[in-house]
This record gives sequence, C-alpha cells and structure tokens, in this order.
Amino acid sequence: MIPLISTPEVSIDVLADRARWLRQEVFEMVMRQRDGHVPSSFSIAEILVTLYYGGVLRWTRGNPRDPQRDRLIVSKGHAAMALYPILADIGYFPSDELKRFAQPGGLLGMYADLRVPGIEGISGSLGHGLGMACGFCYAARMAGHSYRSFVVVGDGECYEGSVWESAMFAAHHGFDNLVAIVDRNALCILGETERLVRMEPLDDKWRSFGWHVVRVDGHNARELQDAFAVIGKTGGRPLAIVADTVKGKGISFMEGRSEWHNRMPSDAQIAQARRELAGGERGMA
Amino acid sequence: MRDAFVGAVCERVQHDRSIVFVSADLGAYALDRLRAEYPEQFVHSGISEQHMVDFGAGLALSGHKVILYAMAPFITLRCIEQVKCAIASMNLPVTLVAVGVGLGYDHATLTHFTPEDIACMRSMNHIEVLSPADAEGAAVVADLAIDQPRFRYVRLERQPMAPLYQGRFAGALDRGLIELLPGRDVALLACGYMSHKALRAAAELRSRGINAGMIDVFRIRPIDPDTLRDVLAPYRAVLTVEEQLLEGGFSSAIAEVMIDGGWMKPFKRIGICNGFEVSNGKRDYLHGLYGIDVPDIVRGAEAVAAAR
Repeated sequence: MIPLISTPEVSIDVLADRARWLRQEVFEMVMRQRDGHVPSSFSIAEILVTLYYGGVLRWTRGNPRDPQRDRLIVSKGHAAMALYPILADIGYFPSDELKRFAQPGGLLGMYADLRVPGIEGISGSLGHGLGMACGFCYAARMAGHSYRSFVVVGDGECYEGSVWESAMFAAHHGFDNLVAIVDRNALCILGETERLVRMEPLDDKWRSFGWHVVRVDGHNARELQDAFAVIGKTGGRPLAIVADTVKGKGISFMEGRSEWHNRMPSDAQIAQARRELAGGERGMA
Repeated sequence: MRDAFVGAVCERVQHDRSIVFVSADLGAYALDRLRAEYPEQFVHSGISEQHMVDFGAGLALSGHKVILYAMAPFITLRCIEQVKCAIASMNLPVTLVAVGVGLGYDHATLTHFTPEDIACMRSMNHIEVLSPADAEGAAVVADLAIDQPRFRYVRLERQPMAPLYQGRFAGALDRGLIELLPGRDVALLACGYMSHKALRAAAELRSRGINAGMIDVFRIRPIDPDTLRDVLAPYRAVLTVEEQLLEGGFSSAIAEVMIDGGWMKPFKRIGICNGFEVSNGKRDYLHGLYGIDVPDIVRGAEAVAAAR
C-alpha cells in the first residue's frame, strides 16, 4: 500500500503499478459477483489513479468528509465501481467490503450511491454528474472554499443533452474550479460512437461551449498529470480533458470490443485475463 | 401566489445565506427584488430544467437549502428523471416550486397543461406534495421550505387567488387539510384552484337542500389516514374534485387511503377523463368542456349523496 500521497512527485512507474493493481482489484470484484462493467472501468484506470495517487485530488486518509477535500463524481456511473478499491485503499471504508461487492448487505453497489464514503453524488443514469458538480462549484464560491470538483464523463454520456446544459452553465459562471475528464473510449454498447451518432470533433464542441480543452492519451499518466496541471490557469474557464482511451484496456480480448460491455468471460478467458493483468503475455496461452 | 411565495423567501434570504433560489426563466414581481438585492442567492439556470435539478442537487449536497422554481410542466415532466435520480434517490432537501399547475396556462393549451403532475410527482420516493390554494398558504409553505427543508413539491397557481384560509393555514400544516365548510351529506375534497370551485359548488348544493361540506386537502402526500378518517367521519359520501386526469391523481390519493384503511364510503370522482382534446378558451370554459366545472361538481355531489 502506498502511504498518503498528495505531492506531484509520484513517479510514472508507481502510477502504472497502481493502474495495474486497480484493474486486478476491479476484475476480481466483478468475477466474484459475475456481474459488472469491466471494460468501462478499465478505460478510466489511469485517470483515477492519476487523480488519487498522482498529486491531483486533495484527500485526507480516512476522512471522506473533510470539508476542504476535492470532489469527484464518476458520472458514467457504470464505471464508478472502479473507485471502490481506491476508496478502500485510502481508508474510507474497510477493504473487506470489496469482497461483498453488489451482494446483499454489502456497502458497495453495482452503481455508486451516497452510502459509500467518498461517493459525492449518485450515478448510474447518465448526464447528472456535471450538473451536480456545478452545484458544488457554486457552493464553494459562495463559501469561499478552494476545493475543486472533478467529473469523469463518458463519451457516450455526451449524447445526453443535460451534459451540454451544464457545460454552458459552468462556462458562463467561470468555474475554473471545475474539471471534466471525458473518457473518450469511442464505444457505446452497440458499437462505435462515430458510426452510431457522430460526436467528433469532440474537443471543438467543449471549446465552443467556453471550456479550456486539452486532449490527451488517457492511458498516459504523464500526459494526464500535465493536463491536470492546467487547473486554475485557464483564464477563468472550466477545464475539459478529453482523454482518448481504450475500452477494456489491459485485457487483450476485451480491448476496443463493444460486446464486452457487460459480458462475463469464460473460465479460460478469466485465466487469460488474470495472466495479462499480472503483466504476463497477451493473448491465449 | 407566486409573489407571496417568493416574497416570503425574499424576507428570509437576507438572514440565511444557505438559501439559494434557482429559476429556469420564470419570473415574479417579488423576484425582481431578490435578484437585485441578493444576486448571489438567486441563480438563473438557463431554460435548462434538467441542469437546474442536477445543479440544485449539487447545492443541496453542499449544505444549501435549495428552491427550484419554474413553470409547472417543465419543472415536473421535463426533468422528472433528474428529480428521481438527483433528488429522490438521495432524499435531498430541495423544494420544487411549480407555477401554473393543472390548466393554469389556459391560453397556452396542451404543452403547458399539467393534468398529470400530481400523479407523477406523488409517485416519487420521499417526496412531500403541497398544493396551497391562496397567497396565505403559499407564504406559509415558503417559510416551511426554509424552516423544515426536505424533498418537497409545491404546486402554485399562476393567477392571483381569492383568500381562502383566513389565517388558518399555518395552524393546519400538521394535519395537511382544512375543513373550510363543515357538512354532513357529502364532503367535497379538492386542492388548489379546484378548492375554490368546490366551495362554490357546496354553496349551490346547500341551496338545493344538500348539506355539503368542503375540505381542502392541501397536502396530497403524505395524507395522514387518521386525520382524513376523522374529518370525513360525519359525512355519508365523498366527492373528489380535481383538475387532473383521473388516473393516479388527487382522487386516487384519497381513495388509496380509504381503501387501505378499509372504510370506504359512497365515493365519486370529478376530474379530467382520458381522451380530452385541445381547445382554445379560458380555464373555466375548459372546465365546462372537460366536465369539471361547478355544475358538474353539483351534479356529481347530488348523485353520490343519493347513493345507497
């Protein structure tokens, strides 16, 4: 376990290890329950570990209610389960809960809700997180607090009109304490976004709504750190980080394959996935 | 009514910085003062009701008392999924204020009618639904929203309403209803605009020798079963009156309590029937067209009062 980290000097190697650890934890959670969203969680693994362990988010070990903490909502709620291992790791709840993921009596649900320490707002239905975060930002401004709000938005979620209602509002109010990280894995349940309903050029859309936009490789912690370093230096604009990612990143047979959105692998595939996530050779043994 | 509500909020805002009032582009004379004097505590969400609700949830999660304010059709059905997910699912202290409920926007017709708002909103987990019928009630409800914040849906009329409560509304808050006119033969139950109509119908019924009473059930959810049973005890029959589609609305809420309690009485419902069609005309004209005007109420009451 890595001790309290809130400095930006964490090495990229450490973040890569953390991302590998997170994928393994999420995979085992889902395999125990035989239900969950592995590929959607894996596309944001580097984003989450960079936020929590890469000196971006301000958090206090064991105190999820610290008033000065930064707020994070994983608005693509089907992937909010990827937060659970991290929240347990930073002492928000006992890690035993991970073993009871989505089970009766357990704390952790398939989708995140307010019972879970560290979850700032419910998610699951798409298009709510950015609006809620606007509320956080407005409240912070009224109270003179310096905490920032981060929202992980799915690219498919950007089909929801409410995202753009909130994007317009945030820019009007100059929320430079707001960051949207758009998980651009380019896949929905039924296929590729550009073949379903085209959304590119996605950065231009955010930019035209008044946001400062940075586009990065969402699996490159260095690029992500550099993008997060822009917070507060955007000339009063909210920051959108459009992160190009691969859905299912880390398991070769799931990568970029929309049919794995909520499908469970066979025993042989599970063995292969475990091997790959542990750093072994990719592909069938 | 909206000026009474917003005016009451305005009086409180200066002493309570936790109050944030959000409008999706609906005004009120009293709102001009709020905007001018407390610009930080007034937010225009844009004509973006979905965003307004999510934004309000974020404020409430941050400790604010939140009042969301918009035209009735748009603060209800336009954003009902946001209401469900962002407010009901987290049981947040947010007050939704709908102006122009029922057929209040008579000139605007179908898109602006809300003949289903009671059915939709009272089905939300955790919600309290209040429908005051005059400015006094609206002002008391505004204070309630600030003093006892919770997930609450408040129905206001768009047009000024004649005084109905005569200083009795605050004292009736706990009970959720007021017997405005005691009677014995038949109890007319209504809320909001229709309470005014039901009172007129009750007067007409009395001139015809039927001892009709009128009960304003301003809290549609929750309805306290014991209170309702007590107030209806002297009556032989019940007539509900609403400006809603009959499926799931006000009358359904009353009937559910009676059925659950196992104390049914002769019961009839006046409301808008499935298949109603668009027409130009003022609200009372439309009531005649849809069979919910005073003469319809009188006929319905006579029928149910005669039932054995």
